[in-house]
Amino acid sequence: MKNVLIQLKNLTKKFGDFFAVKGIDLVIRQGEIVGFLGPNGAGKTTTMKMMANLLKPNDGEVLIRANGELQKLTNKNKDYLLDNIGFLIEIPYFYGKVTPKEILKYFAKLKGYPRKNINERVDTVLEMIGMLEWKDKKIGTFSKGMKQKIGIVSAIIHDPEIIILDEPQTGLDPTARKEVRDFIINLKKSGKTVFLSSHLLYEISEVADRIAIIHNGKLIAFDTLDNLEGKAMKSVIHFELFNSLDGDIEETINKLKTIIVPLTGISEEESWINYNNDSKVFQVFFNGNPKNQTEILRTLLENGYEILEYSVPKAGLLESLFIELTKKNEKRGDL
Amino acid sequence: MALENEQIKPEIMLREKQKVGLGRKFTQIGDTITFELKRNIKSFILMLLVFIGVFTIFLVVSELQYMQDVPLPEDPIEYIQSYLGTMFGFLVILSAAGFAGSIIAEDFHRQTGNLLFPKISKPRLLVGRVISRYSLNAICVIIYYILVSTMTFIKYEEIPIVIWGSLGWALLYSFMIFSFVTLMSSIMKSTSISIIVSILFLLVVFNMITLILRFAGVESEPLYILTYYEGIITASMNMPNPRYTEIRMPTSFGSGGANQEQEFATFINWITPSEATALIGMLVFTSIFLILTYFLYIRRQSKNE
Repeated sequence: MKNVLIQLKNLTKKFGDFFAVKGIDLVIRQGEIVGFLGPNGAGKTTTMKMMANLLKPNDGEVLIRANGELQKLTNKNKDYLLDNIGFLIEIPYFYGKVTPKEILKYFAKLKGYPRKNINERVDTVLEMIGMLEWKDKKIGTFSKGMKQKIGIVSAIIHDPEIIILDEPQTGLDPTARKEVRDFIINLKKSGKTVFLSSHLLYEISEVADRIAIIHNGKLIAFDTLDNLEGKAMKSVIHFELFNSLDGDIEETINKLKTIIVPLTGISEEESWINYNNDSKVFQVFFNGNPKNQTEILRTLLENGYEILEYSVPKAGLLESLFIELTKKNEKRGDL
Repeated sequence: MALENEQIKPEIMLREKQKVGLGRKFTQIGDTITFELKRNIKSFILMLLVFIGVFTIFLVVSELQYMQDVPLPEDPIEYIQSYLGTMFGFLVILSAAGFAGSIIAEDFHRQTGNLLFPKISKPRLLVGRVISRYSLNAICVIIYYILVSTMTFIKYEEIPIVIWGSLGWALLYSFMIFSFVTLMSSIMKSTSISIIVSILFLLVVFNMITLILRFAGVESEPLYILTYYEGIITASMNMPNPRYTEIRMPTSFGSGGANQEQEFATFINWITPSEATALIGMLVFTSIFLILTYFLYIRRQSKNE
């Protein structure tokens, strides 16, 4: 098992009587991508700000590995410990009248990057994100997506081992999102450790090795996606038929219900089948067990349905898991 | 988007030798000074042009008077003082507001703080910014004095040594005003509000308080009014004795007959503090403003924090 690089122990932050973060325990291991998933206001940014020493926890501690041992983050050792971490907290805002080259050089110097290599490093990171030709242009003229990209490279300009990104894909168009996603995957390939927050389930599920789910300031799950799916035992099958539907859609769904619901592994009351008229995709709620998934496919084929596409998207799994876990957490809170 | 792992490792080894602790503090402050000097260079050029413009106006007025047979003052100090009146005080306030108005407010208003604060602590950022921006402010003041002393030399073939003492007072006064605007910047939500409120206080509110107190019969020296200390800049070259003037004003404005005697009251108009008082007063004010700024700044959180 790889080294723990960051450990959060009982991390708690209160604003007045309100617990923004309550007793979070979390470990981040070397070389992995940990997704930090939660709805807006769940406590993701507050947690990350405590990791960046921007906020002081009311209780608990942040431990960071340095010189082979985990050390508690304090005001005294923050320069030393945080030099090995790059942060992007929330949407980045820049001074409009500076260029990427100027601001990145400044950040690299602040974080103690070797001065003789700074110019080269600035070019390298800008090239990574496809913005080298913009290095001498004023940031004020950039689009939101371009600013976001500069924000992301500002987190890695000093070449940290750990990169903490708070919702890096917020506000980006699909192309830019994919670029950022590839960028994050490349960071992992180059041996970096990434802690990535998002409320976008799909973005997390595409890149993360392990997923921590936070809700109302509490960590309600932390495991690999496969294990989380196993725990939830519920998911959604997406399938598309080759032939266009003849007749009433309601009628088709009722026919499908008759043959599929007994195979979903969940009760008739809980189960459902939907049809998306735009994407022409059927969605079947089932227990997440691969055996049931295979059985449903076989039955559909046996009943003469020609299947064009049949899948269980990870985001779908995560979505149902997330909803279930947050509901459980709310119920526990009510008691 | 390719990352070269092989390139990364040697750099990590190098970085581990970088300074931490006190060494890092000074390095970060130095880097902030350099960055801020570059970032504010356009504001500096603009402000310098304003200073040169005001000097030029004074020069043109003086030359026009000379052409209309109004003689130059016999004493070069009087000539210098003609450049350092109320308008110069206004310039000092304007430049302090221009350089310090955004010093803290902008990072919260524009939320640039989320990018900066994980990389540098607020106190170091503040020290670096105060040094760099005040340096630009001070250069404007120094260049104005150089222009005044050059003109004095052209006209009188001498530069009275007291002008450099006056420059020292001007720099101290401008630092106090700069500190006041910095404090406003730590309280206000945006750069523009901090500039407007600072100018309003320094040009209107303080003058109104002075007037109200004067006409309320308060005779004590208004040491609590920041703009009162401006007087030492000109007075230091030729200290008046006493340091106040008396103003006689009628207390009633009746129709008044031939036999009716008009009643008068005397009010004290303070011109300047003494040198010792000015030094202590300005240092105390500056210290209070900067200490307050420090505590407000480190406690201040950006939106959503």
